[in-house]
Amino acid sequence: MAKDPVCQMDVDPKDAAAQSKYQGQTYYFCAAGCKAKFDADPSRYVGR
Amino acid sequence: MSSTTAAMSPPSLDLPVRGMHCAACVGKVERALQAVPGVVTASVNLATERARVELGPRPPALPELRAAVAAAGYTIPEEIAVTPAGREREQAERAREIARLRVRVIVGAVLSFPVLLGSMPDVFPWASGWLRTPWLLWGLTTPVQFWVGGQFHLGFLRELRHRTSSMNTLVSIGTNAAYFWSVAVILWPHAFMAAGGMPYFEASAVLMTFLVLGRWLEARARGGTSDAIRRLVSLQPRVARLAGPGGDRDVPIADVVPGDLLRVRPGERIPVDGVVVEGTSTVDESMLTGESLPVEKGPEATVVAGAVNQSGSFTFRATRVGRETVLAQIVRLVEEAQGSRAPIQRLADRVASVFVPVVLAIAVLTFAAWVLWGPPPAFFHALTNAVAVLVIACPCALGLATPTAVMVATGRGAQLGVLFRSAEVLERLHRVDTVVLDKTGTLTAGPPRLTDVVPAPGADPDLGLALAAAVEQGSEHPLGAAIMSGAKARGLALPPVRQFQATPGQGVEALGEEGRILLGNRRMMESRGVEAPGLQEAAESLAAQGKSVVYVAQAGQACALIAVADVLRPEAPATVAALRGLGLEVIVVSGDVRGTAEAIARQAGVEQVQAEVLPEQKAAHVKRLQAGGRRVAMVGDGINDAPALAQADVGLAMSSGTDVAIEAADVTLVREDLRGVVAAIELSRRTMRVVKQNLVWAFGYNAVLVPVAAGMLYPIWGLQLSPILAGLAMALSSVSVVANSLQLGRFSPSAADRERV
Repeated sequence: MAKDPVCQMDVDPKDAAAQSKYQGQTYYFCAAGCKAKFDADPSRYVGR
Repeated sequence: MSSTTAAMSPPSLDLPVRGMHCAACVGKVERALQAVPGVVTASVNLATERARVELGPRPPALPELRAAVAAAGYTIPEEIAVTPAGREREQAERAREIARLRVRVIVGAVLSFPVLLGSMPDVFPWASGWLRTPWLLWGLTTPVQFWVGGQFHLGFLRELRHRTSSMNTLVSIGTNAAYFWSVAVILWPHAFMAAGGMPYFEASAVLMTFLVLGRWLEARARGGTSDAIRRLVSLQPRVARLAGPGGDRDVPIADVVPGDLLRVRPGERIPVDGVVVEGTSTVDESMLTGESLPVEKGPEATVVAGAVNQSGSFTFRATRVGRETVLAQIVRLVEEAQGSRAPIQRLADRVASVFVPVVLAIAVLTFAAWVLWGPPPAFFHALTNAVAVLVIACPCALGLATPTAVMVATGRGAQLGVLFRSAEVLERLHRVDTVVLDKTGTLTAGPPRLTDVVPAPGADPDLGLALAAAVEQGSEHPLGAAIMSGAKARGLALPPVRQFQATPGQGVEALGEEGRILLGNRRMMESRGVEAPGLQEAAESLAAQGKSVVYVAQAGQACALIAVADVLRPEAPATVAALRGLGLEVIVVSGDVRGTAEAIARQAGVEQVQAEVLPEQKAAHVKRLQAGGRRVAMVGDGINDAPALAQADVGLAMSSGTDVAIEAADVTLVREDLRGVVAAIELSRRTMRVVKQNLVWAFGYNAVLVPVAAGMLYPIWGLQLSPILAGLAMALSSVSVVANSLQLGRFSPSAADRERV
C-alpha cells in the first residue's frame, strides 16, 4: 500500500487514479485532483 | 410514417385521360377539372395521359369529374384503377391504337401516292395521263380525307359542340378547305377554272397522310417513354413458393403475408421483400439498384422483390409485401415523378392555350391579304397559304417537349438507382452550384472503425484492446462502439471491470483486476502521470492521418495505442473529382472536431470543411449558403440530417436499400454509392438541356414557319410553303422532339465509365 501524499489516503499502486514522479520517486494518488495539487507544488507534500 | 402523411396530405386522384393530342388540350382538361367544386388543383400530363387531381375536404364523385372532362371534349375511361390488370389493359389499348394508326398510315400512303403523281405533272412528267383525271383524284382523296383523317374531323366536331378548339380544329378546317375547294372546281369548272382555279386534292390527301404518320410515330414514341416503368413492373413475379411442413406449394403473390416462409430456387425472381432464413446464394439486384455485380446473401441478409436469385436456393421470411416492397415503392416514386410537371413547362402551356385562336386569326388574315394583294390566281394562293398556316401551327411539339424528356429521364434514373421525386426536382438540380456532403455515413461508410492497435514496447498486443473494450462496454461513445466491435472481431475475452468513470474531455477509466485502467487522450495520461515514451511518435503519425487516437494504460503503465477512424467510401475521391469536373463547389459538414473532419475531407479531396456542426445546425448552415446566393444540393442519409435535406434546394439521400421512400429527400439513391450523386446531377443537366432544345425547336419551328406559311417571304424571294411540306414539317417536329427525349434513355453517368472502385 502506498499513501496519497496529498490527502493521506491509502492507495493501492495498481488501482491508483494517477501517479507522479518526483526526485526519482513515484507517488500515487487517489484521484486526479490530488495529483494536480501535488504537481503544482511537490515540495509542499514531500520531505517534511 | 406513411399513414400519418397520408392523413395529412390532401387526398388526390390519379386519372387516365384520353383524347389529348396537344398542349392546348392539357390546359383545357385542367380548367375543366378545376371548375368542379371540391377540386383544389388539377395537373395534367400529356405524355402519360394522366391527370392528378388534388381534392379538398368535400371531394366530388368520380362521375362528376368524368362529366366535366367529357364536357371539354375528352374522356376518362371507365377503368381507372392502377392494378396490374388495369395497366395491362391500358397497354393493350395503346397497342391497338398504334395498330389502328398504322393501318391508316399505310392506306393513306397507298392512296395519296397516285394523287401526288397525278396532281403535279410539272414534277412528275412521266406519270401517265389518266392519273390526272380529276374524277380519279377526287375518288382517291375522299377516303383519305374522311377515313384516314377521320379522327381530326370527329375531334373538331366534338370540340365545336363544346365550343373549344385544338389542333383538330386547325387540321380539319385546313384540309377541308383544300378538299371542298377542289371538289367545287371539278363540279363547276367553268366558274372556277376561268378564274385560275385548280383542283388541289394532293394537299388534302398527302397532308392527311403525313398528319396521321405523325400521330402514329408520336404514339409509338410515347409508348417508349414509359418503358422503364413497364420493365420495373414486369420484375414482380406473380407467384411465390410457400415453404410449408407438407412440402412447398405455389401461391399467388397477393396471398403472401409478412411472416410467410418462402423458397426461391436458382434463376427465379424473389417475389417479396424479406430476410434470408436458410441457405446462401448470390442475387442480382441490378434492375433495382443499378449495381451490376451480384450480391452474396446468407442468413439474416435482406432480399428485395424483383431481384434474380442466381446460384443457390434459399428460404426467406417475407417482411414486406404488396405496395410496401422496395420495388413497389420505386415504381410509385417513378410514376409520381413522371406524372408531375416541371415549372419550365408552364410557359409552353400558357403559350399553347392561346395558340389556336391566334393561329385561326393569322390564317384569316393571311387569306384576306392574299385575296387583296396576292398575284393571280389570288384566291388559289390565298387558300394555299391559309391552309399551310393552319397546318403548320399545331403546338403538339410544344406539349410534348417537357413531359417526354422528364419521363425518359426519370425512368432512366430508376434504372441507374437514382429516384427523382418530381419533375421539378430534375429542374432544380441542374441549377445547383454547391454540393454539401454530410461526413458520417455519406462521405464515410457508416460509423468509425478500429484501424490500428499499437502495443507499448514489450506489452501483449491484445491486452490493450481487451482492456479498452472492457472499459468501453458501458459507454455510448462512437469510439467505444468501434473499439468494442474491433475486440469482438478479434475474439478477445474482456476482463471484468467495475467503477466506470468518465472525465469529460479526457477519457474513461475503470477498476480492473490487474489495476486501474485508463482509456483516454494524451492529456489524460499526462494528468495521471502515466508515461508512454515508446508510443508518442506512433500517436502523432496516426493523428496526422486523421485518426482518433486513445491511449490505454493499466496500473500506471501505458500498454497500447488504439486508433479509430472513419473509413472513407472508396468511391468518394472519384465522386468529388467528378463533381468538381461538373463545376460544382464541394463542402463537407461534420459534427466531428476539426482535425478528424479535415483529414477525411482531405482524403476525399475536399478543401472546404465545416466541422463541429451539430446535427440541428446543419440546416442553418445550408440556409447560410443559400443566403450567400448559392443553390445547394445536400447529400446525407436522410435520418439525422433530414432538416438539412429539406432546407437544401435539392436533398439527396442515400438509402440503405430497404427504404427508398425517404420523406425528406428529393432524390433517393437506391444504392449506397456516392457516384449516384454525380449521375443524378448529370442526368438532370442532360434532361434540362434536352427540354430546352425541345422547347427551342418547338417554339422556333412555329415562330419561323408560321410567317413563311403565311407567305411573308413571297414578296421578297417568291417563297411559299406548300401545305404538304407544312404537314411534313409538323409531323417531323413532334417526332424529332420525342426522339430527342428518347435519347436520354441511353444516358450513362460519366463516373461509372471510369474504373470501378
